[in-house]
Amino acid sequence: MSDKAIYDHVDHLPTGGMTVMALKSLDWVIPGQWQNLVGFEKTITAVTGETDPALIKQIGDRAVTLYNDKHEGYQRALWLYQTVDAASGALGAAALANKVGQDISFLGILKNLTPKPEKAQSIDLCVKLVVELVAFCQINGIPGDSIGDFLSALKDYGGESLMRMAALVCFDGLIPLGPDFASKGLSVIKGMSPSDLEHNQTFKGVRELIPGGNSAGQLGFITESFESTKGWMDNFVSSKALTPDRVVDNLSKFVDISKDKLDYLGAFLDMYVKYYQHTGIQTLAHRLIERSVAEI
Amino acid sequence: MISARLSTRFFTHWRKVFVPILLSLVVLVSACSQSEPSQFAKTQEETSKRNAPAAVAKGAEQGSTFNKFFPDSVSGYEVVPAQEKNGFAEYKVNKGGKNVAVLSINDTVGNPTAATKFQSSTATIAGYPTVEQGTTGTAVLVNNRYQVKVLSRDPAFSKADRAAWIQKINLRGLAKLPAATSSLPKVQAPKAQVPKTAPALPGKLQPALNPT
Repeated sequence: MSDKAIYDHVDHLPTGGMTVMALKSLDWVIPGQWQNLVGFEKTITAVTGETDPALIKQIGDRAVTLYNDKHEGYQRALWLYQTVDAASGALGAAALANKVGQDISFLGILKNLTPKPEKAQSIDLCVKLVVELVAFCQINGIPGDSIGDFLSALKDYGGESLMRMAALVCFDGLIPLGPDFASKGLSVIKGMSPSDLEHNQTFKGVRELIPGGNSAGQLGFITESFESTKGWMDNFVSSKALTPDRVVDNLSKFVDISKDKLDYLGAFLDMYVKYYQHTGIQTLAHRLIERSVAEI
Repeated sequence: MISARLSTRFFTHWRKVFVPILLSLVVLVSACSQSEPSQFAKTQEETSKRNAPAAVAKGAEQGSTFNKFFPDSVSGYEVVPAQEKNGFAEYKVNKGGKNVAVLSINDTVGNPTAATKFQSSTATIAGYPTVEQGTTGTAVLVNNRYQVKVLSRDPAFSKADRAAWIQKINLRGLAKLPAATSSLPKVQAPKAQVPKTAPALPGKLQPALNPT
């Protein structure tokens, strides 16, 4: 886990580039909910409404102290957000290799080494959702397997946390798996064995922090979490009339994508859009600052 | 010919002026581009080194201990649990789906500056010393140890609202938890002052009349 200061993470968030553009393309899904807040002191003022430099210093010092204490769980949460993005990027590379394998016979052997994109994408979606749950528990101090607490909190999600969930639904659900992504994801995860899970790149990246004890227990936890959250995702899609076409149309206003190669889009987003890490740092800073201003 | 000579002289003259200016600018810009160390760098160094003291002292009460002291939702306001960490619990107050305030209780054991600020307190709420922090915070200290704070998240949630909501937290119940045992000077509720009268409470919890 990183020894980088929390203010470094927040100060160095990108203000442009692929991730920020892709997230901006989702503004129509949750209008006005997400601004790309960058900078530690700026975040302190945005969260607390305070501008007095002495107070900002006190709040910031407390946030730095809390973040640096590994027992407080903040570093674990950041590690989860970063790792799931890195691991799913690797999955994107594998999926692309598989695609190349189908197109070019010389590389045909590759398809035997990588999972089918749809299965891989389904696992990716389920694991990312569980990472959100576990990171939520780490940040907010709720026991790590509290699916019920997470579901209650999900109703109250806003800002960068809601944007992360919107991106999960759109970029890891609708685009790679289609409108019935939640049912598809659930049926894939239910048809899997613990060893299928063990071979998945995204799961391997974060497995040490997934509750369940062993792979079988972890598969059970992932399945239960996904099944419990499916209703929220289905409702999110229907209440906002989300379709893959609308997501892609809006994305193409911000990111140069070729519509005749949509097969590649899911893998492309996996590799270049690090939205878990980006919005995860923003969520973490937000919660840390909320706690710090209360504790000083 | 004349005009060419003039323009050469003009150029030579301005070059003499411009070059030093330009050089100064280059030096200035490169000096500025070396970023200043963060104002939090010292704290970062102290709290990230090996054997740095814990952010929350070992003997601090668990956040879960504080849950029962927070009020239930009341008409028009929803009270929602937000954080439950070591020595800290926080609830959001939402109105019409919008967050308008935050309620928190934290154990100041191991974080003494949070408690010592009450020594300069000149007022009380429900008999407990109180301070205003910044433009959005009102806090009281219970048992010389537990800080109860209400923070506005909406300009319409006033200082008077904060004082009223502090009293919706079961301060009398909180005062039954162990008191501070540190060597910090005990914070006394100011006696010379007339206790501040907080707005009447519609909730089930009444202010502690005789805090111990």
